[in-house]
Amino acid sequence: MIPRAVLPLAGLVLAATGLSAPRPATLGPPGKAAVDTCLDCHRSLDESRLSQPAEQAAADIHRLQGITCAGCHGGDPTAEDPEAAMNPALGFQGAIAPTAVPALCAGCHSNPAFMLRYAPNIPTDQAAQYATSRHGLALAKGDTRVATCTSCHGAHGVLPADDARSPVYPSRIVETCERCHGDASLMQTYGISGREVADYRQSVHYAALTQKNDLSAPTCNDCHGSHGATPPGVSSVSNVCGTCHLTQRELFDLSPHKEAFASIEQPACEACHGNHAIHAPDDAWIGVGEGQVCGSCHVAEDGGGQVAVQLAAHLGGASRAIAASRERVARAERAGMLMDEALVQLEEAHQALVLARNQVHAAALATLEEETRRVLAAASKADQLAAAAEAEIRFRRTGLVVSLVAILAAMVALALKVRSMER
Amino acid sequence: MRILERLWASLDERLGLAPLVEFARHKEVPRHRTSWAYYFGGLTLFFLGIQIVTGILLLLYYRPTAEAAFESVQFIVTRVPFGWLVRSIHSWSANLMILSAFVHMFSVYLLGAYAKPRELTWWSGFALLLLAMGFGFSGYLLPWNELSFFATRIGTDIAGKTPLVGPWLLRFLRGGDDVTGATLTRFFGFHVALLPMLTSGLLALHLLLIQKQGMHVPEGEAREAQRRPPIPFFPNFALREAAVWLGGLALLAVLAAFFPWELGVKADPFAPAPAGIKPEWYFLFMFETLKLLPPHVLGIEGELVGLALFTLGGLVWFLAPVLDRGSRRGVRSRLFLLLGWLALAYLVSFTVLSLAGVFP
Repeated sequence: MIPRAVLPLAGLVLAATGLSAPRPATLGPPGKAAVDTCLDCHRSLDESRLSQPAEQAAADIHRLQGITCAGCHGGDPTAEDPEAAMNPALGFQGAIAPTAVPALCAGCHSNPAFMLRYAPNIPTDQAAQYATSRHGLALAKGDTRVATCTSCHGAHGVLPADDARSPVYPSRIVETCERCHGDASLMQTYGISGREVADYRQSVHYAALTQKNDLSAPTCNDCHGSHGATPPGVSSVSNVCGTCHLTQRELFDLSPHKEAFASIEQPACEACHGNHAIHAPDDAWIGVGEGQVCGSCHVAEDGGGQVAVQLAAHLGGASRAIAASRERVARAERAGMLMDEALVQLEEAHQALVLARNQVHAAALATLEEETRRVLAAASKADQLAAAAEAEIRFRRTGLVVSLVAILAAMVALALKVRSMER
Repeated sequence: MRILERLWASLDERLGLAPLVEFARHKEVPRHRTSWAYYFGGLTLFFLGIQIVTGILLLLYYRPTAEAAFESVQFIVTRVPFGWLVRSIHSWSANLMILSAFVHMFSVYLLGAYAKPRELTWWSGFALLLLAMGFGFSGYLLPWNELSFFATRIGTDIAGKTPLVGPWLLRFLRGGDDVTGATLTRFFGFHVALLPMLTSGLLALHLLLIQKQGMHVPEGEAREAQRRPPIPFFPNFALREAAVWLGGLALLAVLAAFFPWELGVKADPFAPAPAGIKPEWYFLFMFETLKLLPPHVLGIEGELVGLALFTLGGLVWFLAPVLDRGSRRGVRSRLFLLLGWLALAYLVSFTVLSLAGVFP
């Protein structure tokens, strides 16, 4: 949701740049590449500064949709004569200044009637959002180092955002943002450390995105926004994380920490989990000892510290019970026993442990205790099944030894009998 | 005892069993350096007996449908008392039976026992080995697990390459275009009805011929067999054979108890084929050869060339008593002996190398 106060500002930015859709003469029918003499000429030029845009335009979504070079640069895309094609009277301009880029793109992308003809499924509020973003606000003040549309989407070889080759495709956004946000010297002029992307690359989110190819895993724009990019404030961190981590947010809202964190202006999730370098949570974090997150506010003697210690004890006990049962079940499996039922019990124990761990967000000792009891019960069942399997293995081995002895005795008896007969 | 004697007398009076007893009393087995080879036919028969008994026990619980086959085998190995043992013995015994049959066949071939007048015994034995491999191929699919499903798909694909009848054969084996529940039902029918029926008839003929013609004495062993007294079949040889069977049983018990046959995961026809799909070990030499052949040989599809070569090889092997003309007069051709050793070396080396994972 864009704050109402900034909407007039966005309108001003767009109006000041003479926002308008391209002249009809620069457009072809939607969905079909139009005649474009600019490309024919520019492809054959020796100077790469001039030929490269034409080559990049081959796969450009705009060109494929019927928007010619003149759609952005003005001029006449049907004229064979360069002078007529690049006629300033027809609005021709060469390189477009960064400050003019958002308005130029908005000429079409903020025009719902126009976009309906070419790409009806694309929203038309990008420019309005951009105007509210840190990038847009700085650009409005004349800072040309900030990102504009072309910084992220490219200028001449723009690909649809759902094309895996696009620089704004989920798995490539990190690299795109890193081009500026990885430059510490540039970032420090804005009071940003420049380590954010490097930190993010250490996170579970980046691992899910790149190792599991999970495109739903959050990357830069999922938390900061795309066109309206801005750091989430202290009060909105839990909303951002809660978009995916719904249960955790609901439990946190029930916890005494919610108000306490708000009163000291402590960001909710970030206080324990960090922001960009979000690591896989560990039970060892819970407690008031060195390096444990509860110790940031609590000491062992206060009520909260005591609860933290008990939470850790219950979770530790449950984890150890699962690990011990898992090891015993695995041993039985290695010995050739089918342990499907025990594996189901272990899965149940694991699920209950996940629910118990969730209760840490509510700091609800009683509920967590109840969940850990379920963990212990399921782990105990798995353990019993493993014990039964071990007994069965012993029975089989004993049976085998007895059978082998009987068989060998019979063989010896036969051999002796044959020998006595043939003597 | 008197009751038994009276019962025997009564049966003999009606069925005329005395000549049979007389025959058994006088039946003898030659004694020489390669007498050990005589035990493998009996050992194969012993494993077949185990297969019949354990197969009948498995039938009590097995359900031959794509929906229930895997679960029923899972039930057998987890819930049915001694079900794990019965299933494991059935699987191991099947493999030992085929191994024993191969040893039996090669020893018969290399010792020249296929020669006149034993052509029919050789041919019926050859057909019995093919039937045993058919038992293995059809039985492999029955647990309906991932490995067996995809191995059957590959195996039937190869059968589908047969010239002229290939497409028909493929559909006949699969009961459709792909391996489905219809294939499972069909393979079950082959495994428990068609193949046992054919095997019973051929086995009866095979055993009858052996009794009729007596044991073959290899070319170089005739003098020793004449010099040494023969082994009376009853009870001496029967007791020796029983000791060998007990050895087979002991081996089976160790294998079944220490290496229970894995069930794997249920077949999912929509899942991609897992890596490393291989048929049963006794088909590996064919499988690896077909894989090694180039896509085209002299403009003909490589697999087709491979199949043609296997058919030709099988035909030469089958017709050895006819093609090896000298064998009729008791003089074996060196070429056929060499062919036998080469075939053995090829089979063993390809199987071992495939099991060792040498082939890509």
